[in-house]
Amino acid sequence: MNTNAIPAQTPAVSASNVAMQFSDLMAVKDANFELENGRFLTILGPSGSGKTTLLRMIAGFLKPTQGQIFINGKEVNAVAPNKRSVGMVFQKLALFPHMTAAQNVAFPLKMRRFDAKKIPARVLEFLNLVRLDGLENRRMNELSGGQQQRVAIARALVFEPDLLLLDEPLAALDRKLREEMQLEFRRIQKELGVTTINVTHDQREALVVSDQIIVMDNGEIQQDASPTQMYRTPHNPFVANFIGVTNLFDGKLMSASAEGAEVHVGDLTLSGILRSSSDASVLGSQARCAVRAEQIRIAAAPDALGTLDLTFQGVVKDVIFEGERLLYELSVPELGDEPVRIFHHDQNDFATHDVGETVHIGWMNRDLHIFVAS
Amino acid sequence: MQRSPSSYPIIWRVMDVLETTFAAVWPKGGGKFTPYLMLTPAIVLVGTLVVGLLYIGDSSLRVLDRSTFLFSDYWTLDNYIRALSEPFIFTVVWRSLLGAVIVTIVTLMLAFPYAYIMVRTPSSFVRKFLLIALFLPFFIGQVVRAYGWLIILGNQGIVNDVLGLVGVEPLRLLFNYPAVLFGLVQYMLPFGVLMLAPALTAIPEEIEAASGSLGASWVKTMTHIVLPMAKPGLIGAGLVVLTLSLTDFAMPAILGGGTQDFIANAIYDQFFRTSDQGFGSTLALLLIALGSILVGIIFAVFGAGTLALDGSRK
Ligand SMILES: Nc1ncnc2c1ncn2[C@@H]1O[C@H](COP(=O)(O)OP(=O)(O)OP(=O)(O)O)[C@@H](O)[C@H]1O
Ligand SMILES: [Mg+2]
Repeated sequence: MNTNAIPAQTPAVSASNVAMQFSDLMAVKDANFELENGRFLTILGPSGSGKTTLLRMIAGFLKPTQGQIFINGKEVNAVAPNKRSVGMVFQKLALFPHMTAAQNVAFPLKMRRFDAKKIPARVLEFLNLVRLDGLENRRMNELSGGQQQRVAIARALVFEPDLLLLDEPLAALDRKLREEMQLEFRRIQKELGVTTINVTHDQREALVVSDQIIVMDNGEIQQDASPTQMYRTPHNPFVANFIGVTNLFDGKLMSASAEGAEVHVGDLTLSGILRSSSDASVLGSQARCAVRAEQIRIAAAPDALGTLDLTFQGVVKDVIFEGERLLYELSVPELGDEPVRIFHHDQNDFATHDVGETVHIGWMNRDLHIFVAS
Repeated sequence: MQRSPSSYPIIWRVMDVLETTFAAVWPKGGGKFTPYLMLTPAIVLVGTLVVGLLYIGDSSLRVLDRSTFLFSDYWTLDNYIRALSEPFIFTVVWRSLLGAVIVTIVTLMLAFPYAYIMVRTPSSFVRKFLLIALFLPFFIGQVVRAYGWLIILGNQGIVNDVLGLVGVEPLRLLFNYPAVLFGLVQYMLPFGVLMLAPALTAIPEEIEAASGSLGASWVKTMTHIVLPMAKPGLIGAGLVVLTLSLTDFAMPAILGGGTQDFIANAIYDQFFRTSDQGFGSTLALLLIALGSILVGIIFAVFGAGTLALDGSRK
């Protein structure tokens, strides 16, 4: 890590009003964020939301059409990639096929004029770090997918960059290996203390590995928060729906205060917590309620749900077995035509409800998020 | 849903008939010999060439009696001794070899940036322009192109006219070695670019970006990453340009004006001017040997694998 005294308050990376305009498309709009030294940030968003574009601007492959990017407090808009201290692991890895693993890892050291005598030892040290000892003389086509990932990580880290960028390098791996590599990333990142920006559309990965998450959609940052905040207090319906499985109901805002708000959905009144940042939530305006699938309880008899704030009757339409949990799809006429989705985690009773069965569901008002269309 | 056969498109019905006929003529699809049978046309073609070569080999061993204009009825190595000892032949061979090597190097040096820009440019207009500029000469053909150079570079040509305007005496731009090499490079450039372009397309842009972010300047990325990865393409292009230049006839004939003969011109003279078929055959075999040795050396140095001909490599 670059240990020259960076004042604690200077963010390792920050973006100020950054935008990227391709000929007819705004791929990134007015992005603002800060990332503290040594932390792990994940940019999360659906395909085409501008994640790679934002990352390429930070790496220096693209010049923002507007705004500034700072690395360690220094504006880098006009600094070429090879003059930035940024290691990047690419979506398709971009390893050099005509070189061995060791040569790949040595490449940045040679290019950045490290002391030639120290290069071999350092290459070995980093191959050990990613647990590739013994494979240093293999070429890329002689390594497995996971081993190639490790070479790419070692290559991006060996020159001790100020910043590590990961552009979905795990997307192509199977789930087991991916989860293993996620933890591996986290271990190495902690060990070296390198500031990291990771891009993914795997929300689980984002929640597991990050200190900070930015959710993007359509080129816009939707929310910038810690994993727990992102999960518990989503800023808008998009975030609520993107992280976890969420049920959405549309209605009209009837009352709003710091303690809670009320929304008319059909003939019902739902109570919940107002999440929209806009204070000017005009009563009577369109509102959207969100409640997570895992925060709805389900039971055969209503008395099992006695402690809940609000209960309904519904009919089971579908049951999907997902291993550690069951996903129910219910039709609840009072809540509209959309099926209500519920996760059932209690594996002790295995009380599966059958399709067609009438059941009771309910939730706590604090678990209902209310968003007002701005 | 069942449909009446007549409602199928006509081309399907034609294919059906062909297939039925084929199956009747050739039951079970011919079994394991079918792939080899498909090779027959190629084998027949190559076989004819071999027969031709045997004839040439035979003639090369017979000397021409200049008083009777008959060929000896016995075999002798006289033609070979003559080919190896005659200074004129040595000059021609040396001129062809040196020319082919120079043309190959210059062509690759020019074709590489051309192909690189054509493949990498973000502007589709530039790409199309470069592609058209590349194919246009193909449509014109070698002889017409060489003739074009006569018009441009001749004593009364455009270049000398322009030079005359600024008071320069007419220069002899034609019928010399550089003119032939110049014409050859111009002729070979499209082949070089066309052979290189796929090799460069195969290098992902991300690889170059990676090289940059790892600290390599643009020049270092070219020399350490792009050139080594384009090696199979460079060798393939080099082989094509080298063999085509070595055996070229038209450029030395037209732009050299008889003073800059390559081996092919010397062979032509023996066959059609002096009618010494024996010595012509000897020179032809010499040319084949020379080309084979060159290709052999390139394969030995770089390995056939670099051309991606080695099946075990991805
Ligand atoms: N060089 C370019 N020229 C024009 N449009 C581009 C270019 N690069 C990206 N885009 C567009 O910008 C938008 C954002 O692309 P980007 O690659 O940043 O998405 P992403 O979030 O990384 O998606 P994915 O998860 O699929 O990788 C897309 O609509 C894409 O088509
Ligand atoms: Mg992407």
